Amino acid sequence: MKVELKIQRFDPVKDQEPHFETYAVDCEPTDRVLDALLQVKGLMDGTLTLRKSCAHGVCGSDGMRINGRNRLACKELIQSQEQPIVVEPMKGFKIVKDLVVDMEPFFEKFRAVKPYLINEDPPPAKERLQSEKQREKFEDATKCILCACCTTSCPTFWADSEFLGPAALVAAQRFIFDSRDQAKEERLDIVGEKEGAWKCRTIFNCTDACPRDIEVTKAIGEIKKEELFRKL
Amino acid sequence: MGAQIHKFEAIVVGGGGAGLYAALALSKEKVQTAVLSKLYPTRSHTGAAQGGIGAALANVEPDNPEWHMYDTVKGSDYLADQDAVEIMCNEAVTTVYELEHLGLPFNRTPEGKIDQRKFGGHTRDHGKAPVQRSCFSADRTGHMILQTLYQQCIKNEVKFFDEYHVMDLILESGICRGVVAYQISNGEVHVFHAKTVLFATGGSGRMFKITSNAHALTGDGMAVALRRKIPLEDMEFFQIHPTGIYKMGILLSEACRGEGGILRNGKGERFMERYAPTIKDLAPRDIVSRCIYFEVRDGNGVNGKDYVHLDLTHLGAEVIEKKLPDIADFVRTYMGLNPVTDLIPIQPTAHYAMGGIPSNFNSEVLGDEKGTIVKGFYAAGECACVSVHGANRLGTNSLVDILVFGRRAGLSMAKYCRANDFAPLPKDPENEVLAQIEWLRSNAGGEKTAVVREALQCTMMDNCGVFRTSETLQKAQGDIAELKKRFLKIQVSDKSQVFNTDMLEAMELNNLLDLAQVTVDAAFARTESRGAHYREDFPKRDDAQWMKHSFATLSAGKTDLKYKPVVITRFQPQERKY
Amino acid sequence: MNSYGSRPAPTASTFELVAWLFMRLSGVLLLILALGHLVIMHLINDIGKINYEFVAGRWSGELGMLWRGYDWLMLILAMLHGVNGMRTILEDYLSPGRRRILVLTVLYVVSFAFLAAGSYVVFSFRRVM
Repeated sequence: MKVELKIQRFDPVKDQEPHFETYAVDCEPTDRVLDALLQVKGLMDGTLTLRKSCAHGVCGSDGMRINGRNRLACKELIQSQEQPIVVEPMKGFKIVKDLVVDMEPFFEKFRAVKPYLINEDPPPAKERLQSEKQREKFEDATKCILCACCTTSCPTFWADSEFLGPAALVAAQRFIFDSRDQAKEERLDIVGEKEGAWKCRTIFNCTDACPRDIEVTKAIGEIKKEELFRKL
Repeated sequence: MGAQIHKFEAIVVGGGGAGLYAALALSKEKVQTAVLSKLYPTRSHTGAAQGGIGAALANVEPDNPEWHMYDTVKGSDYLADQDAVEIMCNEAVTTVYELEHLGLPFNRTPEGKIDQRKFGGHTRDHGKAPVQRSCFSADRTGHMILQTLYQQCIKNEVKFFDEYHVMDLILESGICRGVVAYQISNGEVHVFHAKTVLFATGGSGRMFKITSNAHALTGDGMAVALRRKIPLEDMEFFQIHPTGIYKMGILLSEACRGEGGILRNGKGERFMERYAPTIKDLAPRDIVSRCIYFEVRDGNGVNGKDYVHLDLTHLGAEVIEKKLPDIADFVRTYMGLNPVTDLIPIQPTAHYAMGGIPSNFNSEVLGDEKGTIVKGFYAAGECACVSVHGANRLGTNSLVDILVFGRRAGLSMAKYCRANDFAPLPKDPENEVLAQIEWLRSNAGGEKTAVVREALQCTMMDNCGVFRTSETLQKAQGDIAELKKRFLKIQVSDKSQVFNTDMLEAMELNNLLDLAQVTVDAAFARTESRGAHYREDFPKRDDAQWMKHSFATLSAGKTDLKYKPVVITRFQPQERKY
Repeated sequence: MNSYGSRPAPTASTFELVAWLFMRLSGVLLLILALGHLVIMHLINDIGKINYEFVAGRWSGELGMLWRGYDWLMLILAMLHGVNGMRTILEDYLSPGRRRILVLTVLYVVSFAFLAAGSYVVFSFRRVM
């Protein structure tokens, strides 16, 4: 089928402002939006720039705004998109070129919540025991692939770039609720701040955007609840 | 334009499981380490591994590392080096515990221990019945490993250079001195001066049309080593995984069959019963992939086409949603089917390079078939060939391999760094890279990377896939030679410095072309069938002549093949029956 | 670089937590108070009955202080709830700087004036015959 793509382009050397260009490609209805973009890049205009890798929704490289919603281009099929398919970079980070944005601030926020297990006890000879019930408390958050679709769909983040953002808060939730972790307090100190969980206005854009179906807003709510009962 | 020079004791190239585990081990040993990755590390393809990591923990039923070793050797069609396999299977156990201590959220048994499940080729007591050996975290075990290791590297303040593409290895007089890398974001060239370099750059599955591999898997590390006269071992063995999503190649984990899934042909028959009566659908991947094609050839494909069905419908919604959630999501997203009620069309998909940069069990790279060690140069993970997978890798063993040998690489590098000083850099080590970039930028000939790449992928799939004959391989040789000529006319349309992926893809294609050449040439030379290498004109295994590893080098565009004997310690080669 | 990267170190302030909790609690309370207000003013009584005498009578009767307290609570909760809501919106959408300080100052001054005037009226009211 014929597919029309309207892609936001920006070359930092030549352009002052981003602009849209339209391309027509021939695709199968079951092709991914990523396939269509790569067809443009491979056969029509090699300068089109995007990140990509696994092409099946597990690496988190190709987060972008497709028809107004943050999605992974490799998880959206052509047949489920209205035409023309409008493709833009994720909002809220500096555009490096075309669909590529600067991810450094995103990873900096991730690192800020101490996103790693902290347990200073000498490890046992075998595994630390943990029940399925204990694991289920943070399982949802472990699915995160750091694609930034949630953070860049958050209006609060667009307005305030100091906000930690949903992805970093999900990473914090993952460890706060892990029965093996010993740094819950320290981590709550970080996320229980004005620019942390309290900045979340429960808009739910993040939950809608997450390609891994993580209940992001719920995870942030759990942090708020935990912080509330700790302080009161 | 010159190059920026950086100095680190250890450089790790590749941010997947092997690279990150090495970096973690190095940082714990207080060695100054930097990780260079073409992608952000969390984008690495380790994250796509689904089913689990094989380790004889015996948490749910009796098991021991010796059985794991037997299965691995038998699965490898007796081509694996048994000393290395023994180390891997023993250390698998401690490695899994260490990962748990690092925070990996494994699924748990009712007692709270790490849960385990069945996997292809893993058996109890030397082949008696399938065994629950694969430790897993739903069907995203690789994702959890990658995340956990990345998290711990952040904790240990490992230095990362993200989106740096390594283009050359600085090697002189048998001593490695660093690497030359291209910074994707701004087109600058960097020289990394180091005492030790680890290549953990992953596989090269993108040389095939239908593949489970990421776009990034273009065998960069292997190709760089090959151009620096390091041989590549056992390149003729490329695993084709039986269950990829029809036409797309997206992997549906062997865990589907580990949990009880069944393959059915067009008539609805469970055809694996005929080929592997004892372990049926859980036979090793090379066998199952071949059987699917046998069925298709006999007219038993679904609707006469080239695919069969994976049937999960009898597992029930609970098992599918709890233990195979991502698989269920893939099937829904990409095929619009519901795995709880529908049969899933599947087709074999190119999956894993058993071959690679020859290394020993300390992950030191071997410079020739005699075993001469290249000082300061290490390789681990899919880009390396220890060889623990021989002619066919068992499911779950890739994760075991990257972790065990990634860690061992880190430890041996730390030891080397303590004992040795920096070897001096040669003069202007970046010149060749700068010239190559300049050539790519200015070359005009009208050939497009995407077109040449697709032609390569088609010929490799058709002529060097599951079935091979001297005719198909000769056809592939001819095609590759032709494509290499076309590459000389490659024209990059993006000339800019900023995030030039057009140029990057051309570099990657160049790597794939070299690797495809040695793969096909090594396959043409091996006149027997073993593991994943199946020659229809030589359908029998020939231990008398071919119980040996191939070592391929490139000189002046020609492949030169030498051979090294297999290390056999415990298990003498036998006929492989399941 | 500290372990928080370039981010500010935690302040341990509980203001946002309390503000968040206040919004929930005041919301629930306001719902009850406003519903009660609605029932009294529009269901039990009707618009024809409600005039100066009605309100003045209620505030001056035996339960005068209770009704004054009821109305004052509504006033103060609604004001604080609204002002805090405005504060979060302004802090979300105005970047730190003089403009934000100015707008917030205006908000606080105006709302304080309204609160003061309202409270004064509620508690100093004398019925005029």
